[in-house]
Amino acid sequence: MDITTEIRKIVGDRLSVSPSELYCYSSDASQVKGMPDYVVRPKSTEEVSLIVRLAYENEIPVTARGAGTGLAGGAVPVGGGIVLDMSGMNRILEIDIDNIQVVVEPGVIQDALNDALKPHGFFFPPNPGSSAMCTLGGMIAYNASGMRCVKYGTTRNYVRDLEVVLADGTVIHTGSKMLKSAAGYDLTQLIIGSEGTLGIVTKASLKIVPLPKTRKLVIASFENAEIAGQAVVKTFSNGVIPSACEILDRVSLQVLKRYDPNLVLPSEGDVILFEVDGTESSAREAAEQIMKVCVPLALSMSLAESEKEMADIWAARKLVGAAVSRLDPTKSRIYVGEDVGVPIKQIPELLKRVQEIAEKFDLPAMKYGHIGDGNLHLALFIDVLNKDEWDRLNKAADLVHRTAIELGGTVSSEHGVGAARAEYMKAQWGPALEVMRAIKKTLDPKGILNPGKLGL
Amino acid sequence: MKNEERKNENETGEKNSKELPFEIDRRSVYKCVQCGTCRSVCPVFDAVGWESANTRGRMLIIKSLLEGRPPSEDVLPSLASCTTCGICAAKCPAGANPPEVVEAARAQLVKCGVTTEAQENLKSAVITYGNSFGDTKSRKHWLSETERSKLPEKSEYVYFVGCFDSYRYPEFAKKTFGILQRFGVTLLPDEQCCASPLLRTGFTEDAEKVMKHNLEQIRKVGAHTIITSCAGCYTTLKNNYPEELRVISLPEFLAEHLEELNLKKLDFTVTYHDPCHLGRHNKVYNAPRKVIQAICTLMEMKNIKENARCCGGGGGVRTGYPDISLELARTRLKDVPEGVDYIVTSCPLCVRNLRDAGGDIEVIDIVELVAMAIE
Ligand SMILES: Cc1cc2nc3c(=O)[nH]c(=O)nc-3n(C[C@H](O)[C@H](O)[C@H](O)COP(=O)(O)OP(=O)(O)OC[C@H]3O[C@@H](n4cnc5c(N)ncnc54)[C@H](O)[C@@H]3O)c2cc1C
Ligand code: SF4
Ligand code: SF4
Repeated sequence: MDITTEIRKIVGDRLSVSPSELYCYSSDASQVKGMPDYVVRPKSTEEVSLIVRLAYENEIPVTARGAGTGLAGGAVPVGGGIVLDMSGMNRILEIDIDNIQVVVEPGVIQDALNDALKPHGFFFPPNPGSSAMCTLGGMIAYNASGMRCVKYGTTRNYVRDLEVVLADGTVIHTGSKMLKSAAGYDLTQLIIGSEGTLGIVTKASLKIVPLPKTRKLVIASFENAEIAGQAVVKTFSNGVIPSACEILDRVSLQVLKRYDPNLVLPSEGDVILFEVDGTESSAREAAEQIMKVCVPLALSMSLAESEKEMADIWAARKLVGAAVSRLDPTKSRIYVGEDVGVPIKQIPELLKRVQEIAEKFDLPAMKYGHIGDGNLHLALFIDVLNKDEWDRLNKAADLVHRTAIELGGTVSSEHGVGAARAEYMKAQWGPALEVMRAIKKTLDPKGILNPGKLGL
Repeated sequence: MKNEERKNENETGEKNSKELPFEIDRRSVYKCVQCGTCRSVCPVFDAVGWESANTRGRMLIIKSLLEGRPPSEDVLPSLASCTTCGICAAKCPAGANPPEVVEAARAQLVKCGVTTEAQENLKSAVITYGNSFGDTKSRKHWLSETERSKLPEKSEYVYFVGCFDSYRYPEFAKKTFGILQRFGVTLLPDEQCCASPLLRTGFTEDAEKVMKHNLEQIRKVGAHTIITSCAGCYTTLKNNYPEELRVISLPEFLAEHLEELNLKKLDFTVTYHDPCHLGRHNKVYNAPRKVIQAICTLMEMKNIKENARCCGGGGGVRTGYPDISLELARTRLKDVPEGVDYIVTSCPLCVRNLRDAGGDIEVIDIVELVAMAIE
């Protein structure tokens, strides 16, 4: 059977085998590489199901892909085969305010959903830095989250039902529009975070929440990142839950200022951005409480209340990771070891150890991240034309991953495992990894769905 | 470059630079960290949907060529379909300049003999006839014999008409020159295409010849300032010609001379489309708005200035991929606010593309608006 002809029968000219096109699908935003044999852009559940069944019958790997902004190589077809580019299935099918939920296709862009919800006074809270370009399918498959995770949780907390195409092409629903259910295993939660290894998501019902009346931003700077970490721990233990709690070390601050010179940010120290939301009075009260907690520790503090000022800071913060070369055009940020997380109490220790690792390998480092949930983004930057720097970078990243596990944490808090962090799964999970492997074997006996990922 | 850096570059790049005909500044390409931010803004990607049609795809393909993949026609749908609108560069967190990289890559592809038919046709039109349309008429056909004979031979100011106004919109040329003549502006005795189409599509060597010809003409007239009403000519004259030239766009000239123009107020509302090569590439945002507001009410489009979406006409895309080009224009028209009487822009290429997209609202060049306020 000629596979090209068979695929063409299903999707027509939405199949490409052009070498240039295939090359564009051989990577995502990580360093993982793998060349597909076919790229398909399906338009419907039925098309996805037919393609997957064809792949199943012919034992061809199938890798789903959203926007390819993933940082773990999840969307990279390391075993070749078919890439299903889901970004064209991008319709918002239903905005159901009465049931406070939406039904979307997986290719809908996070920001596009929130733009559509804004006039209704609602939003979908998980907002990764990549919200302008990443898809909801990618977010579900990675259990992505973002700056507001500390209060609002991760993607996992917002999915009610998924339509999933299984390895043999069968289409199932994992949930319903119900708020709760006590019937059977929670397959929705199983699919979330499964990185396209158990099924292809073709529709999702998502819970939405009312937009807060107001937001305020406390900007506090500290002598070093460790003290900043202590301020965060103290804020939480005082019973305040900010809607976002981000750390920016001094290098990140410099990068941000290059990116947008008009930003109003402190000129010294390591900074924590504490965002609070709610009604005018509850937000004010929370902001004041945070400032009180920080007084003995902070070098300086200020409060941003204007929407524009806050929006500008968040917009720049979202892309700071990719903006390192603004500081030194010969350096690029390479996403490795960039997503570790530890229990909040261990944050100061993690910050210290990570700095030591960067110094040991003589690599410039920038530290930022969702410190409120124990998630640190370490940005190591190198001259990509220098082989020695690549070697040092990879060694440093390895040590960072092992340090996180040692501190009782995770190698990935939100970016996923993919192929980039697969080798750490055994160390992090021990015998639990065997359970995951058993699940995978049951649902995908031929191993066609996104092989080479998750250390399975 | 420091010795240390050069050493490193050789370590990773030597083999390729010796064996490959394809060589462009590696750093400009490796600046891209593949974050995908540009996916959210690239208008061509929006219309096409394939990864190769967005900025990151283009940067990846260029990377693959640098790393040894032989250049072939297979890369053209990606690399030839960039309008060079520059919105990706404006948004790229890593500070990459993709349209510049794409243009450099196109020049390398031309060297390797990898071009589209449309590209070749465009080149031979410019080389043979001195204009991008292959038109055989005189470039000054829109002036009468008498008018032509009266043109001052020397002047400090020259109106660079451009291929579009000369051959497609001679009425714009007439109106523009009608205004500029009052200020002692003349025309070049033998203007040729500014070379923009050649430069944007990779024919750098051929472009040199045309630019040299125009420069000689400019020197002959003794002009120190060139005024142009086309965004493509403007960016080319300003950024690709020698620096001693002072180049100003028609809207800038008009904005500087508002008082002398003595414009009357008109009772209607217009919106303004920022041409990419005037706006984003050269930051001329305020002058056209100042001129418009001196005449009538301005109501802005949904995306403006730095965020303005491309009309789809540039970078050789209109000639090479007319369907994509028109799709972009149609999308741009969706940004037009309700209740405006005209869409004003200041580039004949944008006028044509937006007109061809077939909206209900008339698209006019800024010179037509000014002419209405003078009449
Ligand atoms: C600048 C930048 C900032 C970022 N910031 C954050 C952040 O703050 N928080 C965060 O969590 N992440 C962040 N990321 C990582 C990334 O953007 C997210 O993980 C995002 O959710 C990936 O979405 P995507 O559409 O690009 O998915 P892709 O990368 O295309 O795919 C991701 C995974 O999902 C699978 N997949 C995609 N669609 C489907 C589907 N329909 N069915 C089944 N599986 C599917 C793929 O196989 C792959 O395993 C950032 C990335 C960048 C470049
Ligand atoms: S935004 Fe810049 S760095 Fe990111 S993929 Fe596009 S060109 Fe590359
Ligand atoms: S210049 Fe415009 S068309 Fe070209 S890659 Fe950038 S955004 Fe796309």
